[in-house]
Amino acid sequence: MKRNPLTLTIGILLILIVALLLFVFQVRQSEVVVITTFGKPTRQIKDPGAYLKWPWPIQSVHRFDQRVQNFEDKFSEGLTSDNFNLLSSVYVGWKITDARVFYPKFAASTTPIAEAEKVLERLLSNAKAAVIGKHPLSDFLSPADVGNRFTEIEDEILAAMRSELLANDYGIEIRFLRIKRLGLPETVTQSVFERMTSERQVLTSKSQFEGEAEAQKIRSEADRKAAEILAAADGQATQIRGKGEAEAAKSLEVFQQHPELANFIFRLNALEGALKDRSILIFDQQIPPFDLFRGSHTNLLSK
Amino acid sequence: MQRNIQKNGLVNLAALLVAGLAAFAVASYSQSLAGHVALVYLALGVLVAGVSWFQMRLEERERLEKLEFEELSRSRSASALFEAQSADTFPAQRAREQFERFFVPAFTTLLCLAEAAGAFFFWQWLAKPTSQVPLKEPMTAIFLFLLLGLVLFILGRFSATYARLENNRLLRPSAAYVLLNALLSAAVGVGIIGVQVGFPKSDLYLAYALCAILGLIAAETLIALVLEIYRPRVKGKVERPLYESRLVGLLAQPEGLITTAAQAIDYQFGFKVSETWFYRFFERAVLWLVPLQLALLLLSTAFVVIEPGEQGLLERFGKPVPGRTVLNPGLHFTWPWPIDKVYRFRTEQIQSFIVGSVPEEKQAAQRVVLWTVAHSKEENFLVANRDRSPAPTTPSGQRRTPPVSLITVSTPVQYQVTNLVLWAYENEDAPALLQDLATREVTRYLASVDMTDVMSRSRWEASKELVSRIQAASDERNLGARIISVGLQDLHPPVKVAPDYEKVIGALQTKQAKILAARADEIRTNALAAAQATSITNQAHAESLSRTIAAFAQAARFTNQIPAFKAAPSVFAERERLRALVAASGQARKYLLLSTNNLEVITLDLQDKIRADLLTDIAVPEPKK
Repeated sequence: MKRNPLTLTIGILLILIVALLLFVFQVRQSEVVVITTFGKPTRQIKDPGAYLKWPWPIQSVHRFDQRVQNFEDKFSEGLTSDNFNLLSSVYVGWKITDARVFYPKFAASTTPIAEAEKVLERLLSNAKAAVIGKHPLSDFLSPADVGNRFTEIEDEILAAMRSELLANDYGIEIRFLRIKRLGLPETVTQSVFERMTSERQVLTSKSQFEGEAEAQKIRSEADRKAAEILAAADGQATQIRGKGEAEAAKSLEVFQQHPELANFIFRLNALEGALKDRSILIFDQQIPPFDLFRGSHTNLLSK
Repeated sequence: MQRNIQKNGLVNLAALLVAGLAAFAVASYSQSLAGHVALVYLALGVLVAGVSWFQMRLEERERLEKLEFEELSRSRSASALFEAQSADTFPAQRAREQFERFFVPAFTTLLCLAEAAGAFFFWQWLAKPTSQVPLKEPMTAIFLFLLLGLVLFILGRFSATYARLENNRLLRPSAAYVLLNALLSAAVGVGIIGVQVGFPKSDLYLAYALCAILGLIAAETLIALVLEIYRPRVKGKVERPLYESRLVGLLAQPEGLITTAAQAIDYQFGFKVSETWFYRFFERAVLWLVPLQLALLLLSTAFVVIEPGEQGLLERFGKPVPGRTVLNPGLHFTWPWPIDKVYRFRTEQIQSFIVGSVPEEKQAAQRVVLWTVAHSKEENFLVANRDRSPAPTTPSGQRRTPPVSLITVSTPVQYQVTNLVLWAYENEDAPALLQDLATREVTRYLASVDMTDVMSRSRWEASKELVSRIQAASDERNLGARIISVGLQDLHPPVKVAPDYEKVIGALQTKQAKILAARADEIRTNALAAAQATSITNQAHAESLSRTIAAFAQAARFTNQIPAFKAAPSVFAERERLRALVAASGQARKYLLLSTNNLEVITLDLQDKIRADLLTDIAVPEPKK
């Protein structure tokens, strides 16, 4: 039965370490710990460090995260005050404020945080539906210059949840609440798509006909302007011609020296001008100079 | 001797049963996954130990029966009663034979099914997220599992050594299970230690490994059952119990493998390697080398290297160490585990996440991104309509269409951790919270802007606005993060309505084209009108000038004609008349009637004849065939 002293030392050392670990436990900065003695909560430790306890099953250590927990509810449907169906999801920041109160309420579950969040989800569901029902859709969705009440709605849901939590002490507090997403049910989404399409079609037609109308206006304006220019030109031409007439009239004084001759010459000029194009003249031998044919042989048949 | 085997078998059975109950309590309380799977091995051990113990009892009864028979044979050798050795003569032997023929294969089949079912069930169970819960009382669990392992190991070693003796074959299965469970208990303890020192998945991975081994044992048992059908039965040969697993034996006593390896080396080198000083030294030293290695492993936890881009949080007994709370990249010395612990975080490294539509890998490789072609799993956001006209009326009972629009957006957010203490200690899941904050700001921003505006003119401003809003929200929640950029990628109408948006752009272009064409017409019309006006006025000028000049020229000529007329009035007049006749009738058709008969009627046809070439020049088309 000779034993190796090294083996013996190591064995004793290991047993001591393990035994020490059974009596000592650590609390992290991020944790809050509840010590139960035979199942009854007896201590709460919030400050980090190493602490002593009796080994299990006399005392047990129950650790909870004391940082702010982030929890998001389901993307659920509600009805606004102006009867629009609106989907919304909300995230909530909460933390354990009193682990001794929190522990007995949720210790039965293997996942107390998840269990607590189920309770929060129930409270949130009621509060959210109630607040959304008080507001019209425009309070959620409005251009910035018109003004929306997004933040106010969040504050109202938060206040409703806090009052519920105060009524039933769960050892937790809600630090913040924010609306994460907004949406529409599938059927409504389809209707919105249709409306968006119709809006675009209106804009398309508007652009098309505005173009045509504008083009027509420009053309008619151009025609009007052209007519104005031509009318002005005609007027100017008449004036110019009138001036020419007036200028030419000055020469009439010369004709007044011998009016008979002037009129004779004018008649001759008029005759000359009148017979210029496509005229048929029938003369007989009485008219000079064709009277020169008088007495000449003709092609007339003698009886 | 036989009595000792039975007693040992019973001790094994009892030990496995008690260990099973204890392990069940500890595993259930501590919620160790590997501990739960190890329970299957303990349960299988109990069954195997029970059956082997029962078989030992049958063999003991048979042995006593034979002894009794031999005693009687010697005292009454002449009696005819004992001459015939019928089956009724040896009921214990017959019972043992029946047991081995029917019960053992049936039990082994059930064992195989139980092993397979256990492996399958626990594999499925481990895959469920609900089964992975934090460990409770880990230190107690470590202590109890290691203690359990130690007790079972001492008992198992004794039992295994005893089983090596001749005729103790039935002790082997239970001894192997006791040893295997000793090792598994120790492994479960080590797995929980792994979770404590910073390997949170070690318990889970060990549980998966135990499931896999269980599956292998089931396969081995099945193969053994099949081979048993074809095994030649040799009378007098000692048979191996069918339910005894070679794999369990090998896992329980891995030194058997080392011995085999040593023998193989001896054979290969041609001399006894196992008898060299080194091998003997190694054999002696292995006892303290293992603890030394463990000690070195523990000591190695006192050296921490923080990689570039990372920072570490140093905690002593769970409390941040004043002055050394944040460890920057480099080598750091700490107290060994469990006194000091270091938690690493990526801080300098730029991290990112996407709000909205996440581009799919396959579609992300596309070189051209169009509104009308889906390039991500579309996630639509609501946008306020600037047009506040009331919703169109719909038939009763139907939902009204709300005065909103939908927009698809993919918003990559890039950030850096600037204050690690706040990042790690203020919020339980800071990255998830930051993502929620960013999603909320994007939702809120889009709910208050004009869709067309944000898609075009205000896109850059929107990006800047979102950076400042998300930064403000992050600061409000003490996240200790800096928002580097928020990109508004893929900001467009949903794919379903995108073509109509493109048509509007097309229509605007058409409108512009029509207006420009009209402008061109306007320029042409006005230019032509101006030209025509100039022409008209110029013509008027010309006519006016021509008329004036002609008038004065005629007047000048008239002045000259007066003296001529006065000189010879009749001649002048006749000359002028004849000149005018010549000038006027030059182009006219003239008919001269020289008839002297005044009674003759002359008919002239003054119609113009149609030119002959007008008809002849027209080509007559050929008739259709």
